[in-house]
Amino acid sequence: MNARSLFIPITLVLVLGFLIGPFLIIVAASFSAGETLNFPPQGFSLRWIAKVFTVESFQASFAMSLFLAIGGTAAALVLGIPASYALSRYKLPGAEIVRTVVSAPIIVPGIIVGLALLRYIVVPFQVGITLALFVAHTALVLPYAVRVVSASLDNLRSDIEEAAVLLGSSRLGAFFRVVMPNIRGGIMSAFILGFVTSFNQVPVSLFLSGPGVRTLPVDMIAYMEIVFDPSVAALSSLLAFLSIGIVFAAERFLGFSRYV
Amino acid sequence: MFQNRAEALALALPAALFAAAVFLVPVVILLSDGFRSSAGGWTISAYTDFFSNSLNQTVFLRTLKLGALVTVVSAVIGYAAAFAIVSLEPGAKGRMTGLVVLPLMISPVARTYAWIVILGRTGIVNQAFQALGITEVPLRILFSETAIFIGLLQLFLPLMIISLISALENMPKDAIPAARVLGANWFQVFWKVVLPLTKEGLVIGGTLVFTGCLTAYITPAILGGSKVLMLETLLYQQVSVSNNFVSASVIAFILIVMSFAANILLKRVATARNKMRSRP
Repeated sequence: MNARSLFIPITLVLVLGFLIGPFLIIVAASFSAGETLNFPPQGFSLRWIAKVFTVESFQASFAMSLFLAIGGTAAALVLGIPASYALSRYKLPGAEIVRTVVSAPIIVPGIIVGLALLRYIVVPFQVGITLALFVAHTALVLPYAVRVVSASLDNLRSDIEEAAVLLGSSRLGAFFRVVMPNIRGGIMSAFILGFVTSFNQVPVSLFLSGPGVRTLPVDMIAYMEIVFDPSVAALSSLLAFLSIGIVFAAERFLGFSRYV
Repeated sequence: MFQNRAEALALALPAALFAAAVFLVPVVILLSDGFRSSAGGWTISAYTDFFSNSLNQTVFLRTLKLGALVTVVSAVIGYAAAFAIVSLEPGAKGRMTGLVVLPLMISPVARTYAWIVILGRTGIVNQAFQALGITEVPLRILFSETAIFIGLLQLFLPLMIISLISALENMPKDAIPAARVLGANWFQVFWKVVLPLTKEGLVIGGTLVFTGCLTAYITPAILGGSKVLMLETLLYQQVSVSNNFVSASVIAFILIVMSFAANILLKRVATARNKMRSRP
């Protein structure tokens, strides 16, 4: 073996070890039988994985994160699909402005978005925490929704809906009967991307989380500042497998990577 | 293309108005707060105050330094990894790319948390060092710039690698063999052939990594602790501990300016190299 053919396997092992190794350690640590977080784990048990399900604040914050991820992404799609359709099929006056405004939340750091919402929307208008988080997560996911749905609309020939309209369908009927079935994969992909983004999001939620109302990742950070047991490791592994599972299923059934 | 303007506006306006109302307007007001004087006029005194404080200077420079360092190191590792991956057969290439992307699906909290297990007082690194007799007392690696650097690198390296993989794949297949046949050594091949041909991927990857480092909150919060701050964690402290909203607005503006500046600068660097190359 010469130096060049050794270069490839060595590089790959080192880089993948650095990228994935820490995650494997977390998974191993979550099966520990010991009291504190350690590696190599002391013994084998499922006690920390079981404990995750009994911590009350995790239950509440998991439900909150799930609600925000599903509800916020759905709301972003309800706003984003018509906007993407206008951007890709119409001569829209000020199209560039619309595109910039809806994709702006991706450029500005999340912590600033959260702070601005808190100071100028939540406090002056007395908005509830849950509603504020919902609005913030919708704004956060909107750029992804518009980008992914636009990409799948651009890949679809526009003359099929023109044909439907010529044959007597209404514009709305043409959209639901001709366009929607063809971009279903794109919409599902946008939903999954939005879901994962929203679920893992911390900075936006940081300032908006209030007493008793927290998203799961914010709750995990708060928990690990106080308790140093392997339950956060166990929860992290469970969540990681959940998101990997969702993405893999999406790739298999929808060809996710074509849209993202 | 449909021509009906009213219909187009009706479709696009709800999303645009929503984003403007809950995002654009509040952020613009927040940023303008840093330029308000107490008398009601406009001033930059909040900025001169901010930069005259030595703690703020340290945090600002640390953020710049860590961002630049992570970007450069991820580019070096990224090229090696991307080279290794594109030289594989199609099937293996797809699987390897999948493994590189995989960490992006995992919550940053989980990914950062792993480093506590590795770098902590009783972590793997300290255990190994003590077993090998390199050190007797456990080293303090957590809550340092080193820990933040490692965490950020691991967080954003995948973005650099995938940007470079697509850049390398779009490169003409015979460019490297041609340069070799003409007598270039491997260093020259990289510097004169590969780098100019993949610079767009490098600019995209570099911008993603640098702005990612600027705006990362979780990594400096967990691995830097309350002493080793970056701009994001300083902003959080200013609001939640000191209630200093003017300072928070100043930091927010600096962060946004830095992200845009990095993007423009990287593009400049790429085109400047290009001009140099085309000179006879």
